[in-house]
Amino acid sequence: MVDDVSQPPGSPTRKMGQAISGVATHGRMSMSFLNLEKVSKFYGSVAAVHDFDLAVEKGEFISLLGPSGCGKTTTLQMITGLVRPSSGTIIMGGRDITHLPPPQRELGVVFQSYALFPHMTVAQNVSFGLEMRKVAKTERDKRIKEILSLVHLSALADRYPREMSGGQRQRVAIARALVINPPVLLLDEPLSNLDAQLREEMQFELRRIQQTVGITTIMVTHDQAEALSISDRVVVMEKGRITQVDTPYELYEHPRNDFISSFVGKSNFLRATSAFNGKGASISIDNTPIRFNTDRREPDGKVSIFIRPEKLRLTEPGEGQIQGKVTTRYFMGSQWLVSAETPAGVLAVAVPNLGAPPPLEGETVGLAWQNADCRVLAGAAKS
Amino acid sequence: MQRNGPIALAFHSLVVVFMLAPMVVVCLVAFTPENTLAMPWNGLSLRWFEAVFHHADFMSSFGNSVRLALLSATISTVLAVPAALAITRYEFRGREALNALFLSPLIIPHLVLGVAFLRLFSLMGMGGSFGWLVATHAIVVTPYTLRLILASLTSMDRNAENAARTLGAAEWTVFRRITMPLMLPGISGGWLLAFINSFDELTMSIFVTSPSTVTLPVRMYMYASESIDPMMAAVSTLMIVLATITMIILDRLFGLDRLLVGKG
Repeated sequence: MVDDVSQPPGSPTRKMGQAISGVATHGRMSMSFLNLEKVSKFYGSVAAVHDFDLAVEKGEFISLLGPSGCGKTTTLQMITGLVRPSSGTIIMGGRDITHLPPPQRELGVVFQSYALFPHMTVAQNVSFGLEMRKVAKTERDKRIKEILSLVHLSALADRYPREMSGGQRQRVAIARALVINPPVLLLDEPLSNLDAQLREEMQFELRRIQQTVGITTIMVTHDQAEALSISDRVVVMEKGRITQVDTPYELYEHPRNDFISSFVGKSNFLRATSAFNGKGASISIDNTPIRFNTDRREPDGKVSIFIRPEKLRLTEPGEGQIQGKVTTRYFMGSQWLVSAETPAGVLAVAVPNLGAPPPLEGETVGLAWQNADCRVLAGAAKS
Repeated sequence: MQRNGPIALAFHSLVVVFMLAPMVVVCLVAFTPENTLAMPWNGLSLRWFEAVFHHADFMSSFGNSVRLALLSATISTVLAVPAALAITRYEFRGREALNALFLSPLIIPHLVLGVAFLRLFSLMGMGGSFGWLVATHAIVVTPYTLRLILASLTSMDRNAENAARTLGAAEWTVFRRITMPLMLPGISGGWLLAFINSFDELTMSIFVTSPSTVTLPVRMYMYASESIDPMMAAVSTLMIVLATITMIILDRLFGLDRLLVGKG
């Protein structure tokens, strides 16, 4: 059994995470491609964004993730120039753009409503940015053709936006933003107006386009699944401040606090108590000690143990670390979501659908986990 | 879709008949060969239409009305565009008051307006000129132009303008290429409504017109108060035809608007 809670050794993804954050630290010293330094926006005395620091590398896909009102869209608008920061600096490619008006920033922006020009065809919409740059007609036509084929819309060049579906409009908005070869692509909740199936399809499409063009991208979203699946790094925001910047894997496996662990993915919090024993902490659930050898000194007293539903395993009654009774079970297709009442609280378990259905409601089960998959957090669990 | 029951259907039909019947009667009477307002039972005749076109006063009044409506609708629109932009996009003191002021001609009875303008012009020692008539009409039709332009501005996605800015468009280009085209349905619709209202206006015009600037409705009123003959029916028929043609143009334009705005 692996006993180290804070750092599971031998995890390749962990190393990747370190490598990337290493780049970011290094980049900060020698100036990254896009730097936001202590950027704040106040509306009256209310801080919409507070001391936002971020260094974005060229070609990176960054997601700003948070609930509505956390300041993520305001941050994006300050990068576009549509909102002026109250303080701080924004530096792109070594140039201070903090007070540059939007037309001179030459960024590619995709709005939540897509903001297509309704009186222009797809080709005219895409052409607009090129016309502003006084690109010659033949060159314009060539580039419109190229970009429309990239987003798979070549056949619809002469349609008006109202004659298209949501997903198609989305592609037009992306094409219009990309055709001017912007240094950075900014996406404001690009998938929120699409239905579930299309959203999933478009999010991989978005990643494909981003990878093909190799463009530095910043996306605002409130959807954690979206942020995790396509970003290189995710910036979690809460109440105008950054709470964690990490790779999706790190964020999911090692959330820094309660807010992040409950906002990103599903989580269980087990009620437990911790006692410092001189060398490490001895942690017990329902007076049954569980061996946790940690380098860190775990907090004393009431703690909660954080573990993801898919890291829990159902066992025969009497086996595993804790016993429980099944209260509900939902069939989700690829997996079952089983809830079990235990002395440590109600725990959700994701059981992969491998053919055999899990125990019925009311049956007694054992629950097992690897301590390496747990994380001990200070304070009593809420549920 | 919910369908009307038989009673509702009968009621709706009666309403439509009640509204259209007088106009049908007027149009029929216009074709009478008689000298009185009678139904053309004994054959049709165009003599009263001919009489209209040979009546110099009516023809000059018609010309007056068309010129008046064209000018006042245009002036009103030119004023309403910046006013609507200011009202929808900027916070300033007296914004609500300005909005109310522009819409007030709709609330004040035209009779009161007519008397007020007459008194004002005589105090100023002016009036009677075509220019003043145009000014009064421009005021009276402004609620229509302003309302429609305001509506087109409030329903517009402001991010379309922001998108143009991020694509490198300067403010004037944004206005010319994005804002103006998106306002166009409101502008054209407002202009047409203003035109129709100016062309129809009688109550205020009675006070403000002078013998040289008599408008068609005023001329008809004067004529009808002295004698009623089928020529009135013929003039009315011509106006109905004109209104119908305008409605068709309006419909065409709104079809075009759908094309421009992307709604529907």
